Amino acid sequence: MSEEKKLSGIETIKTASRGLRGTLKESLSDEITGSVREPDHALIKFHGMYEQDDRDLREERAEKKLDKLISFMIRMRIPGGFLTPEQWIAAHNIAGDYSTGTIKITTRQTIQLHGILKHDIKPTLQSFDKVKLDSISACGDVNRNVVCSSNPNESPLHKEIHALAGKISDLLLPQSRAYYEIWLDEEKISETTEPDPLYQDRYLPRKFKIGIGIPPNNDVDVLANDLGLIAIIEDERLLGFNIAVGGGLSATHGNVETYPRLATVIGFVAGEENLFKAIYEIVTIQRDFGNRSDRKLARLKYTFDRMGQEAFVAELEKRCGFEIEEAKPYKFTSRTDLFGWQQDKNKNWHYTLFIENGRVLDDENLAIKTALLEIAETGKGNFRFTSNQNLIISDIIEADKAFVKSLLNKYKLIEHTEAASGFRKNAMACVALPTCPLALAEAQRYFPELITKIENILEKYDLGEDEILTRMTGCPNGCARPYAAEIGFIGTAAGHYNLHIGGDREGTRINQKYKEHLDENGLLSEIDSLFGIYKTQRHEKETFGDFVMRENLIKNN
Amino acid sequence: MLAELKLKLLNDHISSYTKEELIWVNGYISGLVTTKPITDAAMVSKAISNKKITLAYGTETGNSKKLAIELAAKAKKKGVNAKLVSLDQYRLADLIKEEYFITVISTQGEGEPPIAAQKFYDHIHNNGFKIPAMKYAVLALGDTSYPMFCKTGEDVDNQLENMGAKRIAAMVKCDLDYEEPAEKWFDELLESINNTGATEIKITPPPITETVKKTGKKIYTGTVLANINLNARGSAKKTFHIELAADQVEYLPGDSIGIIPENDELVVEEIITLTGIDGSKKVNFKNEEATLREHLLQKININFLLEKFIKQYAVLVNETLPRTRVDLVELIRKYPVKNVAEFETFLLSLHAMAPRIYNIASSINAHGNEVHIIALNDEFIADGKIKTGICSAFLNDKKAGDTINFFIQVNKRFRLPEEDKNIVMIGPGTGIAPFRSFVAERDATGAGGKNWLFFADEKFTTDFYYQTEWQNWFGTGVLTNINLAFSEQKEYVQDKLMQKATELFEWIKNGAAVYLCGEKEIMSKAVEETLIRIFEQEGKFNNEEALKYFEELKATGKYMKDVY
Repeated sequence: MSEEKKLSGIETIKTASRGLRGTLKESLSDEITGSVREPDHALIKFHGMYEQDDRDLREERAEKKLDKLISFMIRMRIPGGFLTPEQWIAAHNIAGDYSTGTIKITTRQTIQLHGILKHDIKPTLQSFDKVKLDSISACGDVNRNVVCSSNPNESPLHKEIHALAGKISDLLLPQSRAYYEIWLDEEKISETTEPDPLYQDRYLPRKFKIGIGIPPNNDVDVLANDLGLIAIIEDERLLGFNIAVGGGLSATHGNVETYPRLATVIGFVAGEENLFKAIYEIVTIQRDFGNRSDRKLARLKYTFDRMGQEAFVAELEKRCGFEIEEAKPYKFTSRTDLFGWQQDKNKNWHYTLFIENGRVLDDENLAIKTALLEIAETGKGNFRFTSNQNLIISDIIEADKAFVKSLLNKYKLIEHTEAASGFRKNAMACVALPTCPLALAEAQRYFPELITKIENILEKYDLGEDEILTRMTGCPNGCARPYAAEIGFIGTAAGHYNLHIGGDREGTRINQKYKEHLDENGLLSEIDSLFGIYKTQRHEKETFGDFVMRENLIKNN
Repeated sequence: MLAELKLKLLNDHISSYTKEELIWVNGYISGLVTTKPITDAAMVSKAISNKKITLAYGTETGNSKKLAIELAAKAKKKGVNAKLVSLDQYRLADLIKEEYFITVISTQGEGEPPIAAQKFYDHIHNNGFKIPAMKYAVLALGDTSYPMFCKTGEDVDNQLENMGAKRIAAMVKCDLDYEEPAEKWFDELLESINNTGATEIKITPPPITETVKKTGKKIYTGTVLANINLNARGSAKKTFHIELAADQVEYLPGDSIGIIPENDELVVEEIITLTGIDGSKKVNFKNEEATLREHLLQKININFLLEKFIKQYAVLVNETLPRTRVDLVELIRKYPVKNVAEFETFLLSLHAMAPRIYNIASSINAHGNEVHIIALNDEFIADGKIKTGICSAFLNDKKAGDTINFFIQVNKRFRLPEEDKNIVMIGPGTGIAPFRSFVAERDATGAGGKNWLFFADEKFTTDFYYQTEWQNWFGTGVLTNINLAFSEQKEYVQDKLMQKATELFEWIKNGAAVYLCGEKEIMSKAVEETLIRIFEQEGKFNNEEALKYFEELKATGKYMKDVY
């Protein structure tokens, strides 16, 4: 804190933004460009948007004396990833009217639309507003979309715990009315900026992610969050939550000061009031102690490591005015979605549908988007997104199950889900090229074909049933949480990836870099030889990640 | 005549000259005598602005671009006109012609150039040519948290020197907080260019002897430098931007060129083969001699023949022909020619090939000896088939290095006003062409008048002609206002005029000249009706008064149009 380092440029933009307004209104009326003004690039994130461009077209358009094909990605705020059928129908239509048409389910249980032109942002957000959806704080240096274990069948307490996601999201929303003024034409009531005791005028040093996990399934990757809440349940009663601090999976190639990190469990808090207080004060600690001069070192994980656990907990207790109890025992045993039909204690049915890389669209083989619209139109099921980018058609009463099933069958969605290998269903990739400005290599456009090739190797060693968890990102920033996978592919340059191995299946151990900068042939031959030894030398039921660690394959490399 | 001292100085000066140089100087001085004197106070103060300075940027995140625009604007304030260009749009062949070349370039990831500068980077590193005439300076942007800080800037700086160019300022490497050091560096650079200016003697080339025949228009042969389809994928249309280089070409902003297209060579050969005429036989058409092959290729229109020619042909081949218009070659295929001599006579009776007129989109002051045009690919449906207009088909095939004959069509009724006067340009679609010429001219000459452009087309993302150039001109302040309407968003140019009525009328009232270029039947009428409504609304005129006001603008040359 005492370091007198120069603030990063974004810090100046935030504090001068008059409650995240900046010059966004002026930017919208700049006709000569599809872009927003420079400082607004940072501010528009707080409104749930990123300015992007189609990188594939840059060169071609430059020759034509045209600017980059600039558009916006809009990410919604959907705490816990739950939409009513009406909301899904709205999203479907908005995607068709203003975006590329594809609805992308993200790794944080929300949806995002790509390719929205500047003049279509307002109509898009106004249409979402009609079904009570917004994109406030979906990006930016604030608390992001709060995730929570998706499947209602996970626990009888799911409903109660899931409701916390929305409450926490509301608790940590910025006070500014900028979103309503700029995008929804709300009239500005007073000239002064709304006071915001939590974010003040500087917001957080960096993004802040919160996840709620319900053991034994860690489908949300709870430890990958800045703040992870682990539900402690005894005899079907919610005792409270273990608090885990300092997760975050982004790193920067070549910058040794950066590292991916899983959250550290620092204690236990009982009762909703105390829980909210603790959450709030963890955010204020990060606000006050986080690094504001180097954004690469600004996440809570660095703040936490710099302070040390003891000092951090002491500061937290001081701010809360109560003691943080000792953490309760918990155990995660898996991290997968429960594909297919599940029935909960209330006799309602839920169908978890495999959606490769979360991309909901119609293609020549499968009309997922049309199918989901038809199902939504019946009003017989809700829509839930998982942190693995899949979709649950949920809360279907017994009497409607057969009808919903017939629709799923009509569009071959059950066949599609069942036909995909466990390996493919547990794989995940980020968006990357052509729109993500950070991407160094392909991810979701390429990963499906690489998986097919790896599936062949699995078959060769008769490992086809093994649900090894793999993830790919186009850069080291970790959106698809590749560091928390048994096998992680992290893009370094076009067609090249670092190969990471050794994460566990439950999401409690980070993997490590095994080989650097491999092309496809390199990747496949490394994987072939790794699977070869795994097949012959593994212990019974030993997972690939555990095998890698026991055999010390990384250190011996 | 000459004072003794001056005579001595002159003798001293020319004593080392060769005979050829003396002859040149002789011509030069007589040129000075016959044309206006060029040394006046204005020329001296503008010494630096006469220098050709190019400010080229290579950008990935937009920082280099932003900075380059700021620097160009700064230069402009100091009376220096630097041509601003993105390296991905820079014509690499121009490197050898550069006088002052300032590069602002960033470094990506592991020391690579920005994608937008890759071609330039490869070109200077791989092609082994020399550029001794160039004076250059490099401003490198980077991020010190990466190991190869400013590597691309260093590479370019070294390589330009290797190629024989003269470095006029040491390269500066800027970190993320680049503004301050960059501005300081640029100020010093301008200063040093300015100082060099004082010692150098500016030589104006001798006047060119006019070879234009008084009777006809001078025909230039232009070499195609570039032929680009300006519309992006997803557009409903195709528009060519063609750059022609022609020695000693002369024109003013507002002029047009006429292009006489040629018929398709394959079609001409087919006609010769099918009819058995002698392609090398000399014929006389409109007092000019040509071979029959040239006649078919260049002189007559053989496409989509008028009904009267179909009737004549019917007589020729003794058949009853349908009255629909078709191409000559199709007639010949279906109804073979029987009498070669009669057919030759028929060929001489056909209509002459008409030139197509295109507004010039360039300016000699900005683009040198080049003529740029913009040509919409003309497609129409005839006989149930999609046909391409003859000139479109002709231009469509032209590649860099090909030649096109053209003449200058002077348009004295479409001229820029004095340099300090404001202008409003309304140019939807290809009507934008003369306004690119206007603004490039005003940019190059440092004209101080304000410039306001209205443009309209179908889609913002695919049909905004010269978008990046307008952005640069807007960034440097040459383009004061720009308003756009796209039919995809249900907006038309007249809607934009109406939205801006108050400000627009303010400009006109204060003497701004209004120009309109583009489609005649629908657009130009809608624009004129809207202007009259604006005069009524903003000037509190009744209809009669508004019409009178409009007539006055026309009469005083404050409203000029070129519509088609």
